[in-house]
Amino acid sequence: MGKYGLFLEDNIGNKYERKNLYLRELALIDERIKIEKSSKEISKLKASRTEFIKNKSKNEYMLSLNELKDKEKKFLNELKKKKQEFSTTLDKEMESKVKRLTIQLYENRQKEDFYKGYINLDYRAEYNYLKAKEKSYQLPKIIEYIVNSQNEIKEALELQSKLEKEDFASKKAEVESFKKEQKDKLDKEITRIKARQKEGVISKKAEINSIAAAKRGYKNDVALKKYEIPTNANKEIVKSKKHELRMGIKRNLKILNGDIADIRRRIPVEVEKTKPIFSFLTFPIPGIGQALNKQYGKALIFLVASLFIYLVAIPYALGYGNYQGEGIAGLINLAEGGPRIYKSLIFMIEGVVAIFFVIIGAMLLIVSFKDVYSVERSTIRGIRHSNWFETKRALKQEGFPYMVSLPALLIIIFIVLVPVITTFLLSLTNMNPQNQSKFSWIGIQNYQLIATGQGLAGSVFWLIFIWTVLWTLLATSLAILIGFILALLVNNERIKGKKFFRTIYILPWAVPAFITIMFFSIMVAPGGSITVILEKLIGSRVEIKNTTLYTRSALILLQGWLGSAYVFLLTTGVLQAIPGDLYEAADIDGASSFDKTMKITIPLVLFQIAPLLVTQYTFNFNNFSVIFLFNQGGPFNPQRYGNLAGSSDLLISYIYKLAMVNQYQAIAAAITIFISLGLMFFAFLGFRNSKGFKEGRL
Amino acid sequence: MIKKKSKKEKLYLSDRPPLSLPGKIGLGFSYLVLFSWVVAIVWPLYQMVVSAFNGRQEQRIMANTNFEFSTKHFEYLFTETLYLQWVKNTIFIAGATAILTLIVVSFTGYAYSRYRFAGRKASLMAIMLIQTIPTFAGITAYFTMHSIVSAVIPEFTRQMMLILIYTGGGIASNTFILKGYIDSVSTELDDAAKIDGCSNFDVYRLIIMPIARPMLTIIALWSFIGPFMDYLMARVLLTNPSSYTLAAGLFTLISDFRTLNQPAFAAGGLLTAIPIVALFIVLQRQLVSGLTSGSVKG
Repeated sequence: MGKYGLFLEDNIGNKYERKNLYLRELALIDERIKIEKSSKEISKLKASRTEFIKNKSKNEYMLSLNELKDKEKKFLNELKKKKQEFSTTLDKEMESKVKRLTIQLYENRQKEDFYKGYINLDYRAEYNYLKAKEKSYQLPKIIEYIVNSQNEIKEALELQSKLEKEDFASKKAEVESFKKEQKDKLDKEITRIKARQKEGVISKKAEINSIAAAKRGYKNDVALKKYEIPTNANKEIVKSKKHELRMGIKRNLKILNGDIADIRRRIPVEVEKTKPIFSFLTFPIPGIGQALNKQYGKALIFLVASLFIYLVAIPYALGYGNYQGEGIAGLINLAEGGPRIYKSLIFMIEGVVAIFFVIIGAMLLIVSFKDVYSVERSTIRGIRHSNWFETKRALKQEGFPYMVSLPALLIIIFIVLVPVITTFLLSLTNMNPQNQSKFSWIGIQNYQLIATGQGLAGSVFWLIFIWTVLWTLLATSLAILIGFILALLVNNERIKGKKFFRTIYILPWAVPAFITIMFFSIMVAPGGSITVILEKLIGSRVEIKNTTLYTRSALILLQGWLGSAYVFLLTTGVLQAIPGDLYEAADIDGASSFDKTMKITIPLVLFQIAPLLVTQYTFNFNNFSVIFLFNQGGPFNPQRYGNLAGSSDLLISYIYKLAMVNQYQAIAAAITIFISLGLMFFAFLGFRNSKGFKEGRL
Repeated sequence: MIKKKSKKEKLYLSDRPPLSLPGKIGLGFSYLVLFSWVVAIVWPLYQMVVSAFNGRQEQRIMANTNFEFSTKHFEYLFTETLYLQWVKNTIFIAGATAILTLIVVSFTGYAYSRYRFAGRKASLMAIMLIQTIPTFAGITAYFTMHSIVSAVIPEFTRQMMLILIYTGGGIASNTFILKGYIDSVSTELDDAAKIDGCSNFDVYRLIIMPIARPMLTIIALWSFIGPFMDYLMARVLLTNPSSYTLAAGLFTLISDFRTLNQPAFAAGGLLTAIPIVALFIVLQRQLVSGLTSGSVKG
């Protein structure tokens, strides 16, 4: 049995006296036990406490409370009957909403009278009293508002039917003539504006704007004039009144609910319970705990979570409702021994999906548990649970970021995380041309093969890795160098035709890379323009695509050509933003232009674009297009590179060839994980050094 | 006297000091470098244009062929290949990717910029790391995942899978870009709107979205251009020539000896490049600002 506090408190820490004298007595005993030092006294007090609890049914206060409960029961039963009687006495033609509110008002008045006598006995009675009072105070106003508005609408409608019989021919004619008149005016105005533009008094933009303004004015005037016809005006009145009424009811009820919510916050709740048991008991089934806490709207929402857990997540994880797999179990056996059409990869993916379902389910369970637990805990402290109105309001406020991020979360889980995890798991299997449909776990063998450079696929790994690193460094650095130098040169104040140069220089970036790469590939083929020119220059035939060194050099030059435009753009942007007074100050100090470049320009620019240049390196590390589209990774040199890769292949194109062409998916997955981890590490380093992260300002 | 002098040697009007001889040589050298790079850029592109219009070129583009103006390669492109279909596919994929990205990212960017909810920082870190995982990491799984989903929902085509992959790949970085942009918008605007009775969604719709429109345009533009540029994912997922995107389709014109037609490739490349180049040149400033703010600004 838990202890009782002497006071109840609400969520901002206000203290309230207990009204339940029985509990108050217990709280006093508890208080004394706490203060008491001698163990003898404590055991005595404890005995008296047990005694006291045993005599609960004879406690005076409890007797009167039970009496209240009995009376209340009777009262509510009677009220039900009375309500029905009352509703029959009401006017039959009463509008349903008004009728409902009137019955509510009647009911609340009765309640107000009933609970009034008990407000000192019990907090629940006090709350019910205040709630009923608030309602019987506000409802009449709302009802009156509705009735009045409805009468107004009715009158307007009657007037409308009357007006419709009349003919407002003269008025209509007047409006028509007014319209014509205005139209003429408008036309004149437009021709005047156009003339002014031609004269050069106003700009083209001003012309467009003035014409639009004139047209708008014309439309307004005509619309306004139309309301001089009584039928039109009246129609508009009806429309706006109806809208006003709809909004008014909504607003008034919102105010009423808000006031009731305030009362809920002010009147504490008193319970005998001292331990949040519901949350533990109903832990497995979200929704029930909320219902026990009397939060029925919330319970319904969490019931949906229950349905997901018990109808989707768990059955799927156990293998029911899978496409082929066996849920999580499928991850272990990988369709071993199954029929021929069963594929291990499918089992694996469904296993991963099942794991995610289970994780989502578990998270829902935790959220539900926490919710029930915190509501119960605060109820014990004295805080009344929030009603549906408050829950809805909180959901709209605090729940908003979660709800709007949900689509992104789902896409990231199923399009990014599931495939990546599958790839990781795949790297621990032996999926290769011999084991396509069925494969099994082999642990880290693939990684061992790669690390030691053994096996069919692993033997060339380090060769390709070295070339990839070399390529990344050379190609990116070349592009940066070209772009940087060009930007510096163009930015020289004595250079004319800046715009021309800048437009030309971004072309390699603007033309889709795959087109230029493919065309360069054509040009270096035998008979292509570049080959022919080189032949004339050197005098002998150059087979660029058949010589490893030439292909690699050509690739680096090509990437320098492609990548320079981007660096050029970035650098130009930064250069233009460098304040001119820096250079003026340097001039005064007698710096030469070389000094200014080295001491001002280069440090400033490099500092700003360095993070972006790092992404250029990672981009080139994975630059599949340029390698594959230029020469498909060739030239091929089976003695050195085997049959799986060419001598200009990067790791990424090697992965592509392993996984997609030669079906060595497992080892390809291992290489993928290897480079992904590497990239993540570098990205993390860069991220850790970023300003935002250091200042803890995310 | 004075008049005579100004006639003889032009009056020096510039506010910069006159160039010395080495300075003049340096300037000349600068022009030389700049113009040679212009040639280096324009010459290959010029070659492409010429080959596209040269009626003498057959199947393979040969350097020493005389020029004869003709549009036959374009005709070939439109009649003998699925070029128009590829254009349609690419625009469909690119458009859908852009729209989906916009919808998803505009919400997450807003939520991460404006709300301090539980799990925000952790998920932001997670997004950071996810951003670095290259999209190709899942290539083996994508194929099978598609076959599982399409067995249940036959309407789920490979192109849709591709759209989802492109969108998924862009969510993380685009969320960051947009978050950074919205961070720079004063929250007083939100507060004012909320005092006037706007709900969270109203603030998003009426205040934040109109202000963030420049950045949203850039995000949409980049998401739209992405599928035009990508070859790898299209090549992996799309197996039927009639579902190819431009990159995958045009490559068949130079790689596969059955469909080999290099001048037609040049023609197709030209047609594809022109609108994109125009877009880039007109919007270069905005596009670059989108790229630079993609870096971690925090």
